[in-house]
Amino acid sequence: MENPYSASEVELEAHARAIRKRICVMNAGAKSGHTGGDMSEVDILVALYFRVMRYRAEPLAWFDQFVLSKGHGVGGLYCCFAELGWLPEDELSTYLRDNSRLPGHPVRQKLPGYVTVNTGALGHGLPIATGLALAKRRHAGSGDMGRVFVLTGDGELEEGSNWEAAMAASHFELGNLVVIVDRNHLQLADATKNIMNPEPLPEKFAAFGMEVFETNGNDPAGLSRLMEEMDFRNGKPKAVVAETIKGRGVSFMENVAAWHHKFPNEEELARALKELDHA
Amino acid sequence: MHEAADLRDGAVRALTELVEAGADVVVMVSDSTSTSKIGPFQKRFGDRVINVGIAEQNMVGMAAGMALGNHVVFTANAAPFLVARANEQVKNDVCYSQTNVKMLGLNAGVAYGPLASTHHAIDDISIMSGFGNVQIFAPCDVFEAAQMVRYAASVDGPVYIRLDNANLPVLHDADHVFEPGKPDILLRGPQGADALGRRAVIVALGSVVGEAFAACQALRAREIAPTLINLSSIRPLDTDALAAVLSEHDLIVTAEEHSLHGGIGALIAMQLARRGIARALATLGVTEGEFAHYGTRAGIRKHYGIDAAGIEQAVLALVGAVDAAAEA
Repeated sequence: MENPYSASEVELEAHARAIRKRICVMNAGAKSGHTGGDMSEVDILVALYFRVMRYRAEPLAWFDQFVLSKGHGVGGLYCCFAELGWLPEDELSTYLRDNSRLPGHPVRQKLPGYVTVNTGALGHGLPIATGLALAKRRHAGSGDMGRVFVLTGDGELEEGSNWEAAMAASHFELGNLVVIVDRNHLQLADATKNIMNPEPLPEKFAAFGMEVFETNGNDPAGLSRLMEEMDFRNGKPKAVVAETIKGRGVSFMENVAAWHHKFPNEEELARALKELDHA
Repeated sequence: MHEAADLRDGAVRALTELVEAGADVVVMVSDSTSTSKIGPFQKRFGDRVINVGIAEQNMVGMAAGMALGNHVVFTANAAPFLVARANEQVKNDVCYSQTNVKMLGLNAGVAYGPLASTHHAIDDISIMSGFGNVQIFAPCDVFEAAQMVRYAASVDGPVYIRLDNANLPVLHDADHVFEPGKPDILLRGPQGADALGRRAVIVALGSVVGEAFAACQALRAREIAPTLINLSSIRPLDTDALAAVLSEHDLIVTAEEHSLHGGIGALIAMQLARRGIARALATLGVTEGEFAHYGTRAGIRKHYGIDAAGIEQAVLALVGAVDAAAEA
């Protein structure tokens, strides 16, 4: 099974831009949302869904799978689903509303097949992805293994359950597991280094037995190439420390902690869309 | 008393049979291979036992992931560390996400006795009950435990089974068929009033059903023959059927190795109140007012009146109260 899009570098950039515009519109309309984290993760989602992950779109069937551990980044995921044609464009306006299929954290019962698991509390995705990767390896036998990609925040790594899972992933030699850290350096209250410094982060993952990659997390083509070149059969789980900019793509949102849980007002939306159009 | 057996042996036997029958079962443990008595299963199906080490949060999270990867997953670890340490994983990864994970809560209640309160799970039924979808079972003997494990594997979605480390009296026949939701009536008091005109019913949970059974035997000497309900299926529960049996009696005693908050006593009190069924009721279990009483398991049961003698006394006290009320 291949990626149904196998998008080119130019296409990846265009998808990312379109998704960022949707995020701004959606969060402005909802008057809520985790705008900063939605924006920082976009290029990672684009790389995965439009290039790297192997699945069938019609009818939907997953060979590789994705877990959004930073569940508060679900706005970015919904806008990515809209770009993929899985959500009608106008449905994004129901985000966070009564009876919507689009709650503020992903709910698999709301979007069966599209959302892998219900996250929102932090530090849950990596253990789940570890179990899923182990199940995929068990069922693959000597054949081609499905891979599991899990996206965490960087502040989220303060949760100890991540490190229980990291230890287990190495112990069980899950080469088909890729944890991608949306390393935007900011969490709810302040910079991660001021709250609970995660550095040296790559060394931590390495010490847990993982194969570590440091890369620009806002470059979808570069991310795609990196993941395409990984050796998934070497028995080493992968950790991608993806350096990103929180609020990426809109100058006044970039690297501002306040945009963690802030939505654009009318004037800010107009400016944001203008900037993204000219990016 | 009937012969006694360990619930875990029934559970492990059932797991073995499930794999023999072709089920894609994996058992996840957190260094709890001896706690779960999984040895015989592991010997035959070593690659189906996954030990994550002393890391309960990761065990439950991984279990959810393995279930998403189409395994039928059982977790087997000490109940206190399942419901407390891994509470949020149970809540979100298993219950909320509706993954196909069956959780065996080993050595629940005060099974660990003198190892004290860190190792007791007197809140597992209460905690699980708060998660709206998980099915909750508490077998009282080895046959029921085996049946519940088989049933759990046959249904999709989360299940919790409260297990024990004691040799518990066998109160069912080997061919007993567990029916989820059905109050299991182990002893039926006289259909009419008993010799002295009183009708008592005892409702007991899992590990203390044997104590209640012994209390019933002792009460016979006083010409009291209570009905005994083994409330082994907490969710689902046919509350209409339960209420119908309860309302046939004058007095009700509940007994559980569990907190009175959110256990079967509370469940029954709510059912009675909702339905306007006024009966004399005594709820026996772990009371509030101290964090926990320290002692051997027998000592703790005695302290809370959930041993045979305590249950017998509670029935007699209610009988006295009912008689006094009738005379007044």
